[in-house]
Amino acid sequence: MTVRIGVFICHCGHNIASTVDVEDVVEYAKGLPGVVYSGRNLYSCSQEGLTSIKESIKNNELDRVVVAACTPRTHEPVFRRACEQVGINKYLFEFVNIREHCSWIHTKEKEEATKKAKKLVAMGVAKVALLEPQEEGESDVVPKAVVIGAGLSGLSAAAALLNQGIETHIVEKEATVGGILRDIAVIGPDDVDAQELIRSLTETVEKSPKAHLHLSSKVTELKGFIGNFELTIEGGGKEETVQAGAVIVATGGVEHRPEGEYGFGELKGVITQLELEKILGSGELGARRIVIINCVGSRQPGREYCSRVCCNASLKNAVRVLDTDPDASVTIVHRDIMSCGTVAEELYREASDRGVRFVRYGLDQRPEVSSEGEQLVVEVFDETLDEKIDLESDLVVLATPIVSPGDSSETSKLLKVPRDKHGFFLEAHVKLRPVEFATDGVFVCGSARWPVSARECIWQGQAAAAKASIPISEGKVVIEAITAVVDPEKCAACGNCVISCPYDAIEIVDTESGRAARVSEAQCKGCGTCVAACHNDAIQQKGFSSRQLGAMIDALIRATAEVSR
Amino acid sequence: MTEFKPDILAFCCNWCSYAGADLAGVNRLQMPTNVNVVRVMCSASVKPEYVIKALSQGIDGVLVLGCHIGDCHYMTGNHRTAKRIPLTAKVLEKVGIDSRRVKLDWVSAAEGDKFQQVITEFVEEIKGLGPNPLREVRF
Amino acid sequence: MRIAFEEMKADRLLTARTEHGNVAPVLLARGDEPGELRTDVPYQMANILLRVVPYLGSDKIAVVARRCDEKAIAEMSKRGLLDSGKISLIGLACDAEQVSECRCSDPCPSKVHIGECVKASPTDKVVEDLLAKSISERLEFWTAQFRKCNKCFGCTSNCPVCFCDECLLEEKTFTPEKGIPPGFAFHLIRSIHLADKCVECGECERACPADIPLLALRKMVNRDVKELFGFVSGDGETTSPLLTTLDGDSMEGDNDVC
Repeated sequence: MTVRIGVFICHCGHNIASTVDVEDVVEYAKGLPGVVYSGRNLYSCSQEGLTSIKESIKNNELDRVVVAACTPRTHEPVFRRACEQVGINKYLFEFVNIREHCSWIHTKEKEEATKKAKKLVAMGVAKVALLEPQEEGESDVVPKAVVIGAGLSGLSAAAALLNQGIETHIVEKEATVGGILRDIAVIGPDDVDAQELIRSLTETVEKSPKAHLHLSSKVTELKGFIGNFELTIEGGGKEETVQAGAVIVATGGVEHRPEGEYGFGELKGVITQLELEKILGSGELGARRIVIINCVGSRQPGREYCSRVCCNASLKNAVRVLDTDPDASVTIVHRDIMSCGTVAEELYREASDRGVRFVRYGLDQRPEVSSEGEQLVVEVFDETLDEKIDLESDLVVLATPIVSPGDSSETSKLLKVPRDKHGFFLEAHVKLRPVEFATDGVFVCGSARWPVSARECIWQGQAAAAKASIPISEGKVVIEAITAVVDPEKCAACGNCVISCPYDAIEIVDTESGRAARVSEAQCKGCGTCVAACHNDAIQQKGFSSRQLGAMIDALIRATAEVSR
Repeated sequence: MTEFKPDILAFCCNWCSYAGADLAGVNRLQMPTNVNVVRVMCSASVKPEYVIKALSQGIDGVLVLGCHIGDCHYMTGNHRTAKRIPLTAKVLEKVGIDSRRVKLDWVSAAEGDKFQQVITEFVEEIKGLGPNPLREVRF
Repeated sequence: MRIAFEEMKADRLLTARTEHGNVAPVLLARGDEPGELRTDVPYQMANILLRVVPYLGSDKIAVVARRCDEKAIAEMSKRGLLDSGKISLIGLACDAEQVSECRCSDPCPSKVHIGECVKASPTDKVVEDLLAKSISERLEFWTAQFRKCNKCFGCTSNCPVCFCDECLLEEKTFTPEKGIPPGFAFHLIRSIHLADKCVECGECERACPADIPLLALRKMVNRDVKELFGFVSGDGETTSPLLTTLDGDSMEGDNDVC
């Protein structure tokens, strides 16, 4: 097959051209196999650059395009679109990175950088010659969603989905909704009534004819892919199968129980923050001298993260103690007070003005809690006074971090979504895709992802619902054509691909050419793990076939010989 | 005698190490010119056959870079890489190709500096080993 | 052998017998005249079994199997390419002469019906000598060996665990276009493919008309796999470590929660 390849080398202003001899690379590319046009642009991605590329494609009847410029991670869609606009399938485009991977990292080696740019272009040309046009698949979407977890984030997500008229299943492992908020009366820093918040969200759910609340239940199986999930929900001795287009993980976090630390579980009167919340909610405080120790079990080796909500909770509870009993004394023993934002900052000032004492300790000199008769004594090295002080108290409150619940590894395996080293779920991209998993159609919000405040639970719940509603309201999902594909003629049905696929997307089936592997296109994420497991190249990843990559290796060897001549 | 300029092939996964290489570029971190990057979606798609082919045909060294274990965009794709590539290096060592010519490492999207370090050190290592003897072997 | 065959209630028997003055594999049905059965020639029955199975329908088959046959059958069954439920093994323990000829380190079938087990050396002189060479000597040695390869594919077609109909080594993707000899990569790619399944039967080396010491290469790679992953080919249970996660999980059917 003859191909008509066009190569476009970008100056990127001075970014590339000040290091790489663009004209030299253009001339070199003219001699590469299959190249019928080679040119350059000052800025390929500018309107002018794109127009000139499109003109050249038309004038030279090009059928494949290589652009050597910056990184495909940001600019590939721009050039793919340009190709499509002049009738070239966007999968017949190859990007060569001569900026990030060449000119910018070899600024003082112009000659060598130019040689390298030639090699990279030769490799790109070799690959593009073997690329094949691809059609992106489309798949229908079941207009339903499943939210796992009915804490604040889960309820917020569910309410947002229901408000859009989307049928929603909510699966909660406990017998009641609300999660951590069940134990909290007032949410800081701006004194929101927690129970009223839960009540109003629950009302939205209960009133909606499209809501299905599964209490004391859990998801035991997830099959399928974006648009077409099938979940098994088990609860009350029954099993139900539910179809859904999207799944939101809102499994939340739990309060860390610091067994054995600071006398917790051993000394009477040493409790956790959430236990204090309950006491405050009941209105029966009893204690008059209260010490709150922050950062118990967080920001230390093994659990390095800041749980973000505890400082504000300590401040809010200190103030609430004073509201209940203006003569009480409250000391917050802390490592740093993180009360970001105007409202929280205000709360800190209020606590300070009303006499809450702040004592700062360091990780190398942690407070010690002991009991003397009926009372507790907290011995702490005050960094400001530079000496040890004893704080007599009736109640010692340990502000511990939100940690991932024990069953999150089970959830992770079930949904095939990753977790970080602390057991929290890992989003696809911290900034660009914060409520999505890399697995399409599965979303995450709230403390399942990272310790968050009540406010953030609501935001993230709504964000996840908004994201989940996109495929549902569009009714179709497009599948990027870099999936794996099996040649059943070659396939020996050994099952290597089946076992190694991280997404369970491959099965052995009977075909016209005997038993062979089959890839479920919509489930395949295009990682290519199966490709490397296949012994006879029967399975290939579109756009990254072994012939294409093999040709790149051959091209590198050939180009090296050419440019060093 | 002319100076030995190693010719190195690097496979970088799209999500972590290719992005890490991009970041190195954005930060203008300078490094040797000997490494040529091939973008793959996941390090787990790097067939041992590519590594063997490249070294058999005279490439001086092959780098396979992926996401850190636990951070793989495809969850556990790189777990397979972590087994295949070291085995490939050992097989090559058995027939006389120094296993140091194959290197597997993890570079995250945030580790432009680590990318620079890995590239610099690998180029130095290969320079120390000298040209791939198979460069001159004709079959 | 006949007693074992009767006990197993199989419909067919795969073994070897004298045919036209030579030894050949034979597939007998119940009631067939057995002729002069032979167990003194090391046919790779597993390889033959894989080829006859498609024609057996629902018939059960008994196979006279040496330890290497048994391991190869286990490897193939694990991959769903043989149905172990339909296969009974008549264990044949190789004699000392055979063991030494094969440089076999694992000659005793899990159940012995014919012959008696003999002790085998766990090490192999050829391998030890090769590993004692310096890296440049190894390269020199193997380059010379691989140059002799005329790409006859005898090693692949006689291999009991090489199961692809079309081999990627027949294509030019990974080996140079020029043809013969097929370059340095050819036997290394095969080594990688066999790393998690080679049972060290030695058929490749026996089949090689160029006398390339392929069994030694297999043994060295198997040793690497054992060192790296603690995995030894030949059991029907353990999933290849090359396919699983670092925790040893595969995505299929493993619901073990940590």
